[in-house]
Amino acid sequence: MAPGELIRAKWFDGHSSRARDVLIALEPGRKGPALRLHVLDQAHAASRLFGHAEVQWPPQWSAGQAPARLTVALRDHGSLEFDQARAWQAALAAAGARPGLAQRMQTRWPALLGVLAMAAIGLLAFYRYGTPWAAAQLTRHVPLAWELSLSQQALAQIDRRWLKPTQLEPARQEELRREFRELLARLTPQLKRYPDYAPRYELHFRRGLGANAFALPGGSVVMTDELVAAAAKQGLSDDALLGVLAHEIGHVENRHGTRLVVEQGVLNAGLGLALGDVSNMVSMAGTLLTGLAYRRQHESESDCFALALMAQAQRPTAPMAELLLGLSHRKADAQHGGALSDWLSTHPATPQRAELLRTGSSAACRP
Amino acid sequence: MQSTTPRHSIDAYRLKFTGRGAEYFRVWIVNVLLSIVTLGLYTPWARQRTARYFYDHTAVAGNPLEFTAPLRKMVFGFVIFVMLYLAFKIASESGQDTAVAAFIVAAAVLAPYIWGSAMRFRLASTRWRGLQLRFAASWKEVYLASWPIFAMAAVWVGITFGLDTLAADLPAAPTPAHRPPPFPGLPRLNAAMWGLVAAGLVLSVLCIIRIEFNYKSLLVLRGGIGSQAGRWKPVYGDFVRIWLATLGVLLAGAILTALLAVGVVMALQMTLGKAPAPGAAFVVAVFVGVLAAFLGLLIATAPARAYREARMFQLIWSNVGLSQVARFKSDLRPWAYVRLRLKNVLLTVLTLGLYRPFGRTSEYRMKVDSVTLHVKGGLDQLAGQLVRQQHALGDALADLAGLDIVG
Repeated sequence: MAPGELIRAKWFDGHSSRARDVLIALEPGRKGPALRLHVLDQAHAASRLFGHAEVQWPPQWSAGQAPARLTVALRDHGSLEFDQARAWQAALAAAGARPGLAQRMQTRWPALLGVLAMAAIGLLAFYRYGTPWAAAQLTRHVPLAWELSLSQQALAQIDRRWLKPTQLEPARQEELRREFRELLARLTPQLKRYPDYAPRYELHFRRGLGANAFALPGGSVVMTDELVAAAAKQGLSDDALLGVLAHEIGHVENRHGTRLVVEQGVLNAGLGLALGDVSNMVSMAGTLLTGLAYRRQHESESDCFALALMAQAQRPTAPMAELLLGLSHRKADAQHGGALSDWLSTHPATPQRAELLRTGSSAACRP
Repeated sequence: MQSTTPRHSIDAYRLKFTGRGAEYFRVWIVNVLLSIVTLGLYTPWARQRTARYFYDHTAVAGNPLEFTAPLRKMVFGFVIFVMLYLAFKIASESGQDTAVAAFIVAAAVLAPYIWGSAMRFRLASTRWRGLQLRFAASWKEVYLASWPIFAMAAVWVGITFGLDTLAADLPAAPTPAHRPPPFPGLPRLNAAMWGLVAAGLVLSVLCIIRIEFNYKSLLVLRGGIGSQAGRWKPVYGDFVRIWLATLGVLLAGAILTALLAVGVVMALQMTLGKAPAPGAAFVVAVFVGVLAAFLGLLIATAPARAYREARMFQLIWSNVGLSQVARFKSDLRPWAYVRLRLKNVLLTVLTLGLYRPFGRTSEYRMKVDSVTLHVKGGLDQLAGQLVRQQHALGDALADLAGLDIVG
């Protein structure tokens, strides 16, 4: 169809519901097609030109099927109705209309798939790099006092529900605390991710929860009697326990607890914005899965930190690897009855970790 | 009712939805993708495209509806709304209680205004045969119709005072209002207090029904096309009856789902033997449990929600009209609609949400196709005038409140 060819249409002028017969021509314009309206039912045929911005151009919903009727709003001048949608589309193309991105995605598969791929890559990058980066930055502004009060509440809660007081001899406790302090003294500024962050370190002993150790934001580190006993049973030196403590210090120094909270917050905000129209379930499942994935990243980071700190303290990391393997074997033997240690379950595959710690190679760790 | 002007015949037109699920799926998926890529900024465009799709494919007496909202106003309303929302979030996250309280009070006081401007925007954005719909209620009328909102607030203030008076008999130390003590459970209530709370709940539900009735009737009576105003026949009692019937459906659905849940839990216990040990397996079990409870709630309440929606639709679209010119009749069958909704909810869950556009078009089709328009004196007689759009902030807020443009 050549530009300027006439199409029959009905015009509703906005003042009456009576239709008037008109002829429409689409003409190429500077910003896009313009629309010329010829009114037929008046004695003196009148015509008016509507610029590109004066017309609400209807979207095309489907490449194959044209709708039975098409409407075009002319702002204050009422609306046009076409029976020949095909002729309209042809005239529009002839007048040099360029479909927008949404229009192209709507009617052309390659455009849709292209944006789909872009969205997938964008989401993945947001989740893999964007969120952890934003969380690491935002965590700088979280005050230590907030972490301390949170940890105090959390520890009280855990004590009430899960843990019992330690039965470790006071002398042994003091020995381990002394070694813990020596380890902390080796902490160099290069190892610290947040140079201005000064947590208040404290080593607590508890019973229950199996062979385990965990760190709370702000510097509280908890070690169970069972872990100390497991190291003794395997005939390992205190270096094994110190390796575990170095790993926990890594959690504190990297502020993993706070970062996990912030990461979840950033991710939820991002997903909420982006996936607003998708069911809540998807974002709920996403939050849980990504939470586990972020924790695994944190564990690897802490392992690398432990390697560096132990090297700084001139202590071997092989005993820690032995302890880890021993615990995982015992877990495999026990299968059902024994309590599953979460210190193990959220960690990356144990043999690979043990191998990394045994060789003391920091190849897998970023400098 | 007999026609008093015999020279005009009455013509019946069936409303028709000509959209297709597969086509709307494309509209929807494009919206979702572009929203993801733009981190949600595409929302107003997506709303416009969705509304246009449904309007374009809704034929009233052979002529499609038109959605003519100016995009610039929709974007502007959306941006203001996002900024308000962020301000509220920041205030509440950083514990600025005064600001949060001010936000909540302002939202409550402005709720009728927001509803009114959303309806104005929505109707003024709708055209049929070139004629613009309108919502002409004055702000005074809107606020007068909103009395149940304020009555409900008064009821709860009264109940709080009542509970305090009753609690004064108990030997409990009075606590400052701004710092409640960390008590282990709910405060102890005696029979009189329970009675008071129950009365408050009943009154609240009555207020909610009343506000729905007031708003719907105001929308029809002060709405219209051209110079013709809407007509409205339903009474408050009709609404209460529908809510009571819905309550029955809700209870039946809840009992059925509870029985089903007990059966599933017992079957699981038989197969698994005992509760899983703490650890990763436990976390997964808890997550699955929460998800199952969420889905159970969704499915248990789905019939009741669909039933209410269908009964309400049928009542309203059988009892409204346009001055002396037009009447609507709907023969929507509520239980057919409930069956359709249940099928859609199940398929949506099974496909992780991908079936939603198909479900939405099928429900919309069932509703629209059930309506017949009876017109006296032909379609060419309506006169109107085009009025410029005011603003679209109300529309963005109404979107948050779940008031969809289409539906």
